[in-house]
Amino acid sequence: MIVLAFVVLSAMLGVYVLLDGYDLGVGVIHLFVARGDAERDAVVESIGPFWNGNEVWLIAAGGTLFALFPQVYASAFSGFYLPFMLVLWLLMFRGIAFELRGHFPSDLWRGFFDVTFAIASGLLILLFGVALGNILRGVPLNPAHYFEGSFGFLLNPYAVGVGALAVLALAQHGAAWIALRVEGPPAERAVGAIRILLPLVFILGIALSIATFFVHSPLPNLRAFPWIALAPLGSILGLIGILLYLVQGRIRQIFHASMLFLAGMLASAAATLYPYLLPGFPSPQTGLSAYTNPPSHIALATTLTVVIVGLIIVAIYRAFVVRKLTARVNPTC
Amino acid sequence: MGDAFAADRIQFAFTIMFHYLFPIGTMGLAPFIAWYTVQAIRTKDPRYDHAARFWAKIFAINFVIGVVTGIPMEFQFGTNWALFSARTGAVIGQPLAMEGIYAFFLESIFLGIFLYGRGIVSPRLHAASAVIVWAGAWISGFFITATNAWMQHPVGYSVGPDLRVRLESLPALLLSPFAWWQFLHVMTGAVVTGGFLMAGVGAYYLLARRQTEYGAMFVRGGVVVAFVFSAIAVFPTGDRNSADVTKYQPAKLAAMEGLFKSAYGAPLAIIGMPDTVNQTLIDPIFVPKVLSFLAYGNFHANVKGLAEYPADERPPVAVTYYAYHIMVGLGTIFLGLGALGVLLLWLKRLERSRWLLWLLMLAIPFPYIANEAGWVTSEVGRQPWIVYGLIRTVQGTSTNVAAGETIFTILGFVGMYFLLGLLFMLLVLREIGIGPAESTA
Repeated sequence: MIVLAFVVLSAMLGVYVLLDGYDLGVGVIHLFVARGDAERDAVVESIGPFWNGNEVWLIAAGGTLFALFPQVYASAFSGFYLPFMLVLWLLMFRGIAFELRGHFPSDLWRGFFDVTFAIASGLLILLFGVALGNILRGVPLNPAHYFEGSFGFLLNPYAVGVGALAVLALAQHGAAWIALRVEGPPAERAVGAIRILLPLVFILGIALSIATFFVHSPLPNLRAFPWIALAPLGSILGLIGILLYLVQGRIRQIFHASMLFLAGMLASAAATLYPYLLPGFPSPQTGLSAYTNPPSHIALATTLTVVIVGLIIVAIYRAFVVRKLTARVNPTC
Repeated sequence: MGDAFAADRIQFAFTIMFHYLFPIGTMGLAPFIAWYTVQAIRTKDPRYDHAARFWAKIFAINFVIGVVTGIPMEFQFGTNWALFSARTGAVIGQPLAMEGIYAFFLESIFLGIFLYGRGIVSPRLHAASAVIVWAGAWISGFFITATNAWMQHPVGYSVGPDLRVRLESLPALLLSPFAWWQFLHVMTGAVVTGGFLMAGVGAYYLLARRQTEYGAMFVRGGVVVAFVFSAIAVFPTGDRNSADVTKYQPAKLAAMEGLFKSAYGAPLAIIGMPDTVNQTLIDPIFVPKVLSFLAYGNFHANVKGLAEYPADERPPVAVTYYAYHIMVGLGTIFLGLGALGVLLLWLKRLERSRWLLWLLMLAIPFPYIANEAGWVTSEVGRQPWIVYGLIRTVQGTSTNVAAGETIFTILGFVGMYFLLGLLFMLLVLREIGIGPAESTA
């Protein structure tokens, strides 16, 4: 059951990255691929109905973490007080910028919020990536499980590298979304952006995957559960898919390949991390795992039932809504 | 430690009070928007459609600011109240997770259809999404109120040897009568606010002699709803809340009423200023024996005063007392104002009674104040407990976050919220300036 809890939690965060990932990516890349008001509006409108629902995955995953592993929630949020507050403020700026840009018919107003939206999106991805890198690497925790270290410790090369990869990979994901959902010049420029981003993502992805073996070796888990090798395999397939579709000019399919790539990367990270939620440093054992303060049987059964049933309902109506709103956005009309 | 504790409380109080201004708007306006959207389909009258679009724009601005100021609340449980979270997360995490999964998804996904789907989806689905957005807003209100209700009156839990609170029964938590009466009272307060907002904006159009057919429509609907829900706020919802407080939180009741010494046939203080040094009310106006009657249904019943409780189990009297009296006083005025409006509507003189339209327009901010005052009564009156009778507030803060860190973030929130408040006013006043007739483009 604890394994299931770990899987559900990782899956919720993974879905968050796949979904909010494209609108964060659009945030990073929209200044480069959309020129002029009509194009900019079309690109922004393509994520308009979805971004807020996508962000709810983060809130829902946070709530589930809170219910299942309150000590992890408390240790992480209070231990990294200022980074979390920074994430919070960026989330706020981003939402405000996105929703208010269209409320006032002025170029200055819109231009200001578009740039705010881009910067906030980029910094958020970077911070999420650095956080993931540090979780994989482990952080020094005292016996009461609270962070004992400095801000500088968090800015190590591995974590910053994961942050950079996250920015590149989600910018690519956002570009793939634009190619899928917007017509005309923005889609063409988005494909151009993918041509530049793909080799960078490839090189950095390989380098960090190798580095991971030295930072938090996946080998013990790989020996125990050999089938988790499917995860990195999926991400490689995703990358090959992006390349193939790019060469064949089937630009709409690139988005799906990008989903596979990201899902594979995140599943690999989760499979490497198991059973730790917040490993210690230098030895992961000093940290918090899913078994450190395990949820009681009742709490576990209740949360999993409520979360899984709820998410099935959400998946059903979300699929219905997305199908109803799938028209591509055309900048000329 | 003391400084950090004070900073954590100030930050939470400030961010929650600012945040709550916006959910009142969404929970209070959602039923009106759903009603106008459905009416537009049923009657094919384009004015309903314009009205729905106009209020949907105001709703959307409220929604965005409500969402972005709501995220800090979930964060602060972990950042500033780590010991509280670590000890009670197994219980309060449940309704919080459910709020995300069962309410926020519903609200945000269908709001996407409602705001972006016009002309893309069928009118029926569009109207259905307005109703679902309303449901989502209220379900979210339920889960967060149920979370608070557990902190007021904990049920369905046990305490483990490590002092961590364990969940025993989620149904007990979600079906607790305390939570349901609190929820209904909170929703009633939001609808009263929505009603007076509708009526006040409508009154502005009538007074300004522009878009008067919409002005009349909003004033009529707003006044009727505001009157009916002002009555429901007193009885049964307010009455049941008081009964629960009397039963489970008697020290809060004593603070709310400014009752320092126990008394048989305790009088009800209508006004008066609590003097905490001399333990008495200054210049009070009393109604004899009524407090005993309201609390226990008996004019001679004994109501326990604050002196009966140890000093370290008494809530801060002045704030609790004033907040409660402001809420009740304003609620009484709303009932009178609503009744006057309904009377004039019945006499078909509402739209020409400019003095009442002035009152309605100027009344817009006061339901917000009453809602906030109600929550201040509830939360300050809960002190010194973070979970009533179980965990003290001082035991809940993060021990690893310094006062300086929190003071820095308080300054950040104050600056950002000042800006958000200005933006909100600018955008809402601009939409009101454009008005429903021209907001169709």
